[in-house]
Amino acid sequence: MSLTNLLTYVGLVAVFPGFVFTAVVGLLSSWFDRKLSARLQWRVGPPWYQSFADVAKLLGKETVVPAGSAKLVFLGAPFVGFAAVVVVSTILWMASIRPDGAFVGDLIVVLYLLYVPSLAIIIGGSASRNPFAALGASREMKLMLAYEVGFLISAFTLVVKNGGIVSLGGMVAYQQASGPMLSQGISCIIAFIVALIYVPAKLAVGPFDIPEAECELISGPFTEYSGVPLAAFKLTKAMLMCVLPVFLITVFATTAWSPWAILWYVLILVFVVLIKNTNPRLRIDQALRFFWGPVLVLSIVGIVLASLGL
Amino acid sequence: MSSPVLPWVVFLPLIAGAVAFAIPVRAEKFREVFSTVVSGAVFLLGMVVLVGPEASYHAIPLGFVQGYLVDLRIDELNRFMVMFASLFGLLVTVFSIGYMQGRSRLREYYPYMLISIGAANGALLANNWLAFVGFWGLILVTLFLLATIGAADADANKAMRAAGKSMVILGASDLALILGVGLVFAQSGTLVLSETSLPVTGPMSAAAFVLIMLGALSKAGAVPMHSWIPDMAEASPTSVVALVPASLDKLLGIYLLARLVLDMFQVNLALNLLLMVIGAVTIVVAVVMAIVQHDLRRLLAFQAVAQVGYMVLGFGTGTAIGIAGGLFHMLNHAIYKSCLFLTAGAVEKGAGTMNLAKLGGLARAMPYTFAAFGIAALASSGVPPLNGFVSKWMVYQGLVEVGIDKYWIFLVAAMFGSALTLAAFVKVAHGVFLGDRPREMSGVVEVGPSMRFAPAVLATLCVIFGVAAQVPLQHFIGPAVGMQFPAFPEAISIGGIWSPTVATALLLFALLIGYFIYLASRTRSVRIAPVYIGGETAGEGTSDSLNTKYGRNRETSDTRVLGTEFYDSIRRLPGLSRLYDKGESGAFDIQRLSKLATPLGWALSALHGGRLSTYVSWMLWGVLVLFVVLSVVS
Repeated sequence: MSLTNLLTYVGLVAVFPGFVFTAVVGLLSSWFDRKLSARLQWRVGPPWYQSFADVAKLLGKETVVPAGSAKLVFLGAPFVGFAAVVVVSTILWMASIRPDGAFVGDLIVVLYLLYVPSLAIIIGGSASRNPFAALGASREMKLMLAYEVGFLISAFTLVVKNGGIVSLGGMVAYQQASGPMLSQGISCIIAFIVALIYVPAKLAVGPFDIPEAECELISGPFTEYSGVPLAAFKLTKAMLMCVLPVFLITVFATTAWSPWAILWYVLILVFVVLIKNTNPRLRIDQALRFFWGPVLVLSIVGIVLASLGL
Repeated sequence: MSSPVLPWVVFLPLIAGAVAFAIPVRAEKFREVFSTVVSGAVFLLGMVVLVGPEASYHAIPLGFVQGYLVDLRIDELNRFMVMFASLFGLLVTVFSIGYMQGRSRLREYYPYMLISIGAANGALLANNWLAFVGFWGLILVTLFLLATIGAADADANKAMRAAGKSMVILGASDLALILGVGLVFAQSGTLVLSETSLPVTGPMSAAAFVLIMLGALSKAGAVPMHSWIPDMAEASPTSVVALVPASLDKLLGIYLLARLVLDMFQVNLALNLLLMVIGAVTIVVAVVMAIVQHDLRRLLAFQAVAQVGYMVLGFGTGTAIGIAGGLFHMLNHAIYKSCLFLTAGAVEKGAGTMNLAKLGGLARAMPYTFAAFGIAALASSGVPPLNGFVSKWMVYQGLVEVGIDKYWIFLVAAMFGSALTLAAFVKVAHGVFLGDRPREMSGVVEVGPSMRFAPAVLATLCVIFGVAAQVPLQHFIGPAVGMQFPAFPEAISIGGIWSPTVATALLLFALLIGYFIYLASRTRSVRIAPVYIGGETAGEGTSDSLNTKYGRNRETSDTRVLGTEFYDSIRRLPGLSRLYDKGESGAFDIQRLSKLATPLGWALSALHGGRLSTYVSWMLWGVLVLFVVLSVVS
């Protein structure tokens, strides 16, 4: 690998479309979420820089480690989740920027890398010895099992539809050639609906904020976290808030590299915020039944229709 | 080309195993050293075989048919398997020195282990069906004997039942294998493996394929022939489980499947579909059972069964990439699963129990074991960039290639199986290493160097085979399936793309960014504080806890959130709960089918009245029937 190549990779991961870009957009999205929620509740809401200020403030706080915990795992877990999201973001954007060039990973790689931030939360919470964190970790894992199966089916509905293209660049190129997936039949629309439901669940925001459940579990896996590791978790969540809509836009609608993408992005965010503010939190068994019941059936209908060519 | 090394790879451990019996009980240390040296030598011979050219070795002509009794052959498919079988043998032997200390029947333990290694190498190298079946059966015998060794120290009933169960299931499927070999012989007229080649056209060749496949899949432990593995894992010494069912049996079973699919049969679509169904069902059923287990070894055993599903699924695709993925997964699986069982053994040695409800918070006491376990568990769940991910990814590419519009359900099942695998390991991680430490576990310390060595080597292999997956793919898997793989730092691009080396570099760089964020923080002080439970002292469990300001600051506690409770809400879901109850009561055990044969048994026992005259009349009737049949035929 030549030096220019290396510098390019460093730039990609560190600045755009990796860390700096995703973090800025993610934190702004998280502000958008808070502001819109506030307006829905007839409050004023925070100024635009509030999410940045929160992270900056956490960076200034001391880090508290619970006695007797596995310290390295406890402190390291947030950063592992963070790294995975940065890499996922880079892979996703590169597919839109250079659809012809193959960059690092395909759809399956992204689906697997998206396990990592959730896993980091679970392991970090479990390492903290706190009983609330342990309950939160177990809920996070169950929630993951709940939403994952429908989402996998919805993602592969697209692959059925496009004739077996799994590389993200290829999926973008396919859409450029023959129109967005969403315009290609009812099956893709069903898959998109399932994927939309996946977003709040993956982010663990209402009605799926089951792992953190403030009034039951303090804040679940994050109970013992403070200072820099907590900032890393918050940042990871904010970045996921940017990455997941971009993922959906890239594979369903258009490239992330077009003006339409911004509209799509805002629409997805608004959907998430509206759902969050209009639905009370589910119990974990209700969430399991919801995802393994109606959502699973819906996604299977979608993929069967896709295999029939609809 | 004849190679003088080949017979040694097989017969050195066999002979040494016999010799090791003769070492007296008092010279226990010597037996350990002797076994380690022999398995080390076998590993070195395995390396020689690996780098050497294709070769063969014949001795003792059979006479009644063309071929030799001792007919060994090394080719692209089995050379790396022999090396790895020997490597696992060496590592487990080293591990056993620490693990088996203080157990009874050690005099038999090491000889049986050596014989297992020799038998596995023999089955891998055999180029004659007779020799193959012999070695194949021999490893079943040693497995049985090794399983009963557990009876001396643990629950004797359990161990004997488990050993008997494996004998019944594997014995029955070995019978199927022998019948299949008979059919192959009847059709191709040869007992030499390298000369066997059949298209699956008629019912006879299909039956031969299915029968031999049954033998292969039972050895590997695919559903529904899997139920012997969890039982055995629970009752036998963990080192035995790590060596035989977790690695050698997987190598052998998948090796036979690979021979069938790659060299001997031109498999048709229906059989491929059968393989895919078995694979997908294996993944889902086993891993769903795994997440509700309370015993660490049992949980790992169900995981091991599930992983076989990926291999079978890969072979079922019938595509080069799928088969390569299946083979690579076999190798990766053997590496991480033996690592997992060995770390479980270390936990057993250190903490004295395998019950997930009694363990907890051992990460600080056993950091090396935890690290090895963590890496192997992540690899097993297919977390990139570790080795398990690469091979699963290849299997998925095979599925996409063969037609995702028809086979999407297998792909989704396999990928969801990964999430469930992760869930099972989260339970173990919480239940054993993280979470809260119960007071009984306060004295646990890390195991000795001999029990740290093998897991460390295997965990390192998990990382290397993931980050530099191109190396094993290019040198081991590629030649075996006739595929060209890219060299080390390049991306693997087949259908999709996965660039393990660049991805790892990017992940490390992103971690570095995280570290910079940490450096950017103004205060870098870390304060140790007691766990916060709303200001209460709940769960401390000692009387003086009320006098201390905070509870839980003694690093142990009485009331904890157990890992075993993690998935209770899943287990209680309507529908699932019934399936779980049935699965645990053994309703899905394949050997229950034998009940169907009970009426036949009554009929036969009625015939065996013990009266000589009845027997003689039956014989006369038989001779008469034979005479009629033969005269009609000729």
